[in-house]
Amino acid sequence: MNRVLLQLAGLFSALSLSAFGGGKVVLPSMHQAACGEYHWMSDQQFVDLFSISMAAPGPSMMVVTLVGLKACLPYGTAAAILGALVATLAMFVPSSVLVYYAGNWWDHWKESPWRHAVMDAIMPISTGLILAATWIIAKTSIHSVPTAIMGLIALFLMLFTKINPVLMMAVAGAISWGFLR
Amino acid sequence: MERNTPPDSGPEAGALVRPSMLELAGLFVFIGLTSFGGGITAYIRRLVVTQKRWLTDEEFLPGLGLVQLLPGANVAGLAVYIGNHLKGPLGSAVALSCLFIPPFVTTCALGFLYFHAGQKADGMAMLAGITAVACGLMASMVFEAGQKSIKGVFDIILILITFALVRFAHLHVPVVILIMAPLALWWHRPRKNSTKEDA
Repeated sequence: MNRVLLQLAGLFSALSLSAFGGGKVVLPSMHQAACGEYHWMSDQQFVDLFSISMAAPGPSMMVVTLVGLKACLPYGTAAAILGALVATLAMFVPSSVLVYYAGNWWDHWKESPWRHAVMDAIMPISTGLILAATWIIAKTSIHSVPTAIMGLIALFLMLFTKINPVLMMAVAGAISWGFLR
Repeated sequence: MERNTPPDSGPEAGALVRPSMLELAGLFVFIGLTSFGGGITAYIRRLVVTQKRWLTDEEFLPGLGLVQLLPGANVAGLAVYIGNHLKGPLGSAVALSCLFIPPFVTTCALGFLYFHAGQKADGMAMLAGITAVACGLMASMVFEAGQKSIKGVFDIILILITFALVRFAHLHVPVVILIMAPLALWWHRPRKNSTKEDA
């Protein structure tokens, strides 16, 4: 139990400080650790938890909370809540502390051409990481013609309309409950 | 000549409001409970700059640039930046906690529901559709990030190498960044009087 908490704290604080371009870029590492290295859950459970966290209110990387919860669930309900708390704090506190301190010298760099250089350099790397994350989600979530169609429609609506994604999830959830059971 | 520099320059900026700690807390509870999926930074800007007039764009946008540059979830970084800007260190802590506590509770509840009751129940059939949409959302983020990042052929190569290091070499994200960042930074280094050309 303590070992799992330490693993959660170590994993997510490392990912917190590597999430250049937002939380989503570290999703492949989270998946690899949770399913491959520590065997906290199956691929299917990981993708389910990711989707639940996207549909639920809150910042989009709340999947971290659910990974912590599942990792400690075998030790009981209280342990699961503790695991969720440790994972969430480890993911969001280190990067926030960094932002707090960096805010103070950020303005000194306003004129530096390196500021743009760093931004330009980070963007393609985070795009590649988000692509890898999408691949992982797609491998498990798109497993039939209807799910492929729903995924493509969601992609199209996201790119070309301003429809709220939670509404799309509600509709797709109802459709799959009605037809895919 | 008048030498007093106006505290808030411009006729409209005079309406800038400085909130109390309670109002700051209340707003971030609201943001935490009403934000879903992506697009949240634009949502925060609309609330804090346009509607509440707590910050000007000149104050908000550098903060947004900062959190996009630094690692970590952008929302959390923005909460810290806005909280600190308006109310100092305690403001940061209040904004961050208020952003996370209510969603933490609801997310845990959904997690227990999923693991205890859900996996056998046929209500779980809904998840097939929800995960498909989640996948579509992720794919849309690839397009949006790609649009902003591709300034030449070399950027496409950077994206593909990064993808391959994760997908095929199974490297962890921190390692991938340590490998790719020097390469990308070298390519995008500030150059004198040059326009980038793709060889």
